[in-house]
Amino acid sequence: MVSTQHYLLLAAFLFCIGMFGVMVRRNALVVFMCVELMLNAANLTFLAFARQRGDSIGHASAFFVIAVAAAEAAIGLAILIAVFRSRGTLNVEEIKTMKH
Amino acid sequence: MTAEVLLFWVFGVATAVGALLVVGAKSPMSSAIALVATFFFLAGIYVLLWAHAIAVLQVLVYAGAIMVLFLFVIMLLSLAEAEISAPVMKISRLIGGASTLGLLAVLAVAIWRLPPQGQLIAGPQSSFGTLRALGELVYTTYLLPFEAVSLLLLVAILGAVVVAKARI
Amino acid sequence: MPFFDCLQQASFFDCLAHPPLDPYAVSQGLWLIIALPLAGALLSGLLGRLLGRANTNLIACAAVGGSFVISLLAFLALNDRSATLQTPFSDEPLRFALGHDFGTWFAVGAFRAQFGLAVDHLSAVMALVVTGVGFLIHVYSTSYMGHDRGYWRYFAYLNLFVAMMLLLVLADNLPLLFVGWEGVGLCSYLLIGFWYEDAAKAWAGRKAFVVNRIGDFGFLIGMFLLTLWVGAFDAQTRRFAGQGRALDHWRAGMMERGPLTFHGLEEAVRRIPPAPAATAGAVTLQTPIESGPLQGLTFGQALTAVLLLFMLGAAGKSAQLPLFVWLPDAMAGPTPVSALIHAATMVTAGVYLFSRIGFLLVLSPAAMATVALVGAATALFAALIAFGQDDIKKVLAYSTISQLGFMFMAVGLGVFWAAIFHLATHAFFKACLFLGAGSVMHGNADETDIKRLGGLRREMPWTAATFLVASIAISGFVIPLSGFFSKDAILHGVHASRLAVFEWVPTAVWVVGLVAAFCTAFYIGRLYLLVFEGKRSPQARVAHPHESDWPMTVPLVILAALSVFAAVYGLPIIHAMGRDQTLIENYLLPVSRIPEELERIHRTVAIEEAAGWSDWMKTWTEAWFIALAGGLLAGVLYLWYFPSPHRAPSALGRALMRAARNGFYVDRLYELAIVRPTKLISFLLYKVVDTLLIDTIFVRGTAWVTARVATVIRYLQTGDAQSYAAVMALALFLAAGYALIQVLK
Repeated sequence: MVSTQHYLLLAAFLFCIGMFGVMVRRNALVVFMCVELMLNAANLTFLAFARQRGDSIGHASAFFVIAVAAAEAAIGLAILIAVFRSRGTLNVEEIKTMKH
Repeated sequence: MTAEVLLFWVFGVATAVGALLVVGAKSPMSSAIALVATFFFLAGIYVLLWAHAIAVLQVLVYAGAIMVLFLFVIMLLSLAEAEISAPVMKISRLIGGASTLGLLAVLAVAIWRLPPQGQLIAGPQSSFGTLRALGELVYTTYLLPFEAVSLLLLVAILGAVVVAKARI
Repeated sequence: MPFFDCLQQASFFDCLAHPPLDPYAVSQGLWLIIALPLAGALLSGLLGRLLGRANTNLIACAAVGGSFVISLLAFLALNDRSATLQTPFSDEPLRFALGHDFGTWFAVGAFRAQFGLAVDHLSAVMALVVTGVGFLIHVYSTSYMGHDRGYWRYFAYLNLFVAMMLLLVLADNLPLLFVGWEGVGLCSYLLIGFWYEDAAKAWAGRKAFVVNRIGDFGFLIGMFLLTLWVGAFDAQTRRFAGQGRALDHWRAGMMERGPLTFHGLEEAVRRIPPAPAATAGAVTLQTPIESGPLQGLTFGQALTAVLLLFMLGAAGKSAQLPLFVWLPDAMAGPTPVSALIHAATMVTAGVYLFSRIGFLLVLSPAAMATVALVGAATALFAALIAFGQDDIKKVLAYSTISQLGFMFMAVGLGVFWAAIFHLATHAFFKACLFLGAGSVMHGNADETDIKRLGGLRREMPWTAATFLVASIAISGFVIPLSGFFSKDAILHGVHASRLAVFEWVPTAVWVVGLVAAFCTAFYIGRLYLLVFEGKRSPQARVAHPHESDWPMTVPLVILAALSVFAAVYGLPIIHAMGRDQTLIENYLLPVSRIPEELERIHRTVAIEEAAGWSDWMKTWTEAWFIALAGGLLAGVLYLWYFPSPHRAPSALGRALMRAARNGFYVDRLYELAIVRPTKLISFLLYKVVDTLLIDTIFVRGTAWVTARVATVIRYLQTGDAQSYAAVMALALFLAAGYALIQVLK
C-alpha cells in the first residue's frame, strides 16, 4: 500500500526541482517550464490529500489549477514573445531594466 | 509487492527523472519534451491516486494544449536563441540553490513526521474521482470559481492576442 | 413714560431718592453699560478713518457718556426699596443689589462660568467713577490728541478699555472678572505703546504687559486653587447633617451658576463655623482637606494660599511691590491715558478685587497681614522715589503707586470702605493732576522736566489753579479736601484695627502710613512749587506758554470741583448702628456687612469704631499737622533754600537724590537678577537646543543618515529577477524551517 507520504515526498521533490530550475536557468522559456513543474507538484499534493480524506475537494482544486495554469501559460508566452521582439534575447540576465 | 506499489515506483522514478531532465537539459526543446514526458507519467500517478478525471484532464490540457503551445513558441523563437555560455556562479544562485535544498530537507522531515494516516478508502468507490463526481462538485458548490475561471480564460485569450500582436 | 412721573413728585430730591425706575428693567439692561463703549470701540477702530476726526470724537465721547448715564440710572435704581437680587444660592434676596444672568459662557463637567452681571453699591461707585472720569478724559483727549494721526486707533483703544474695565467691575463671577482684568491689561499695553514707532515707547508697553502677565499668572492659579477649594468644601460638608443641609441651597446655586460666583462663595463661607464653637465633625477652617491636589492642607491654609496668589495678581495690576516697575515706564503713553488707566481706573482693579472678595480675605489673618504690609511698604518706598524724580509724569506715577499702597493698607486690615473712598477721591484728584500735567506739557512743547519749568502760574491760570486744588486734596495741606478725609479714614481705620495672630502689623502699618503721608505732602508740594511758582527756568523751551483751550480746561475744573465736594462723603454725619458713620461707610454697608460679620465670628480682625465726632477730630488734627509739616518743608526748601545762590545740596544729599531718581535701582536689580538670566537661558535654548540639537542633529541629521543608507542599500535592486527569486526562496526556507521547529516542539 503506497502511503500518502510517498506521494507527498514525490511532490516535494518535484517542487524543489522546479524551484531550483527557476533560479538557475537563464533561458526564460525554461524558467517558465519549471514554474509549470511547480504547479504540478502542488496538484499532486492536492490529489494525495484528497485520496486520504476521501473528499473530492482536492479534485476540484486541481481542476481549477489546471485551468488557471492554462490561462497563465497563454499570457506568459505572449509576453515572452513581446519581450523577445523588443529586446532580441530571452536571456533573463540581460532583461534588467529595473536595475538601479 | 502489489501492482500499485510497482506502478508507483516506476511512474515516480520516471517523473523524477523527467523533472531533472527539464532542469538540466541544454536546449529548451529538450526541456520541453522532457516536460511532456513528465506530465504523462504524472497522469499515471494521478490514476494511482484514483483521480481519473484529473488524470485525463492533465493529459488533455496540460500535455496536450499547454505543452503544444510551449513547443510552438520555442520553435517560433528558435532562430535567435542559442544556448548561452556556461553558467556563471553568482551569489544569488548559490543562495537559491542552498535554499532549495534546505527546503527539500524541511519538507521531507515534515512529511515523515506526519501523523499516521487515517482511514484510507478500502477500495475505489464507484464514483470517487470520476468526472461525474468532479462535475457535481464544480457545478454546484464551486460554481462561482468556475465562472470566474471561465472569465479568466476569456481575459487570457484577449490578453494573449493583444500582447503578442506585432501591430495593434 | 416712567421718567415723567418724576416731575409730579413733591420735590426734586424725593424724585432722586425714589426714582420711578423699574429695577428689573435696569437689571436687564446692565449689559448696555458695557456694550456702548464696546460698540464705540468697534466703530472708531473700523470706520474711524472714514468718518473723520470730529465724528470719531463724537462717537467715542458719546459712547462713554451714554454708559455714564446708564450707570447713573443703575445707581439711582439701587436706592429703591425694591432693588433686590434673588440669587439661586440662598432663600433671602440681597438688598440694594441688582443683577441678571445672561446665559452660560461655558460649562465643563461640574464647572461652569456664566455671563452674569451684578451691580451693588460697590460696583455702582466703581462704575460711576470709571464712566464719569472716563467721559471727562475722553473730552480732554479730543483736544490733546487733536493733531495726532492715529486718533481713530486711540479712541478705539480707549473705548475698549472702558468697556473692559466696566466688565471687570460689573462681573458677578471670577472668570468673567478675569476677562475684564486681562482686557484692561491688553488695552494698557496698546495705549502705552501707542506711539509705537518710537522703540523705547513700544518696549515700555511690552514691559507693562509682561509684568502684568506675571500677576495674571498668580490670579489664574489662585482661581484654580479656589475652584479646588470649593470642590473639597462641597465634598466634605456633605457628610455632616446640619452644615450639609444648610448648604443644600448653595449646592443648587452652584449647579446653576458655577463655583466661582461671588454670591455663591459668600454663602459658602458664611456657613463655616469658627473652630472653637464648631460641633464635632463640621467643616471649619482648621479641618484638613482629605482628598485631591490640596490634600493635607487645612481649609484655612489653602484659602491663605489662594489669597496670596490673588495678591500677586493685584500687585501686578495695581503696581505694588515687587511688580510696580511697569508703571513709571508706562508714562511713555499719552497723558490722558496715564490719567485714565494708570491713575484712576485700571490700577484700582486690584483694590476692587480685594473688596469684592473681602469675605474671603477676612478669614485669613496671614493674607491680611501680607496685603497690608505690602501696601505699606509700597506706599513708603514709592513716596521716597518720588522725591528724586524730575519728570512731572514720573512724580505722579510714583505718587499713584504710593496712594495705591494706602488703599491696600486699608483693604489688608479690613477697612474696605476707606479704601474705596480713597479710590474714588484719588481718581478725581490724580486724574486732575495728570490732566494738568498734560496741559502743562501741551503748552510747553511737551517739556516734562520740572527743572526746566517754573512760574507757569501767571500764564496758565486755570491749569495752575486746578493743579493747586488737586495738590491740596492729595496732601491735605492746610485746607482739608476730599483726599485728606479719605487718607485719614484709612489711617484711622488702620490704627483702630486689631489683627489676630499678627498684632504688631496694624501699628507698624499705621506708622509707615503716617510717614508716607508726610512724604506725600512733601513731594507734591515740591512738584507744584517747581512747576508753577518761582522764576521761569532759563532752559525752558517755550518763552511764553499759553493756556489750553476749553476741552482741556473744563474737565480740569470739573475734576477739581469733585476733589473738593467728594469730601462730604467723608464726614461722619449719619447716625446709625449706635455711632456716627461717614456717608461713604454707610453707603457701602450692604456690601461690607458680610465681611464684618465674618470678622466678628472668626475673630480675625476687630476694629474699634470711632464713637463720635471727638474721636474723628483727634485723628484729623494729627493728620493735619503731619500734612502741614510736609508741605511747609517743601515750601521752605524749594522756595527759599535751594533757589538761594550759595546753597547747594550736600554730597550725601546728591547721592540720595540720584538713588531716588533711579528708583533705588530696583529696575537694575530686576535686569540683573531676572532679565539677564532669562535672556541667557533663551539664548542657550536657541543656540544649543534649537539650532544644534533639533535643527542640525535631528532634522538635517535624519536626512543625512537616510541619504547615506540609501546609497548603500540601492545596490540590492539589481533588476535581476532570479536574484529576487533567490531571496524569496531563502525566506521561504527559513519560514518553513521555523514553522517546523515550532510544530515539533
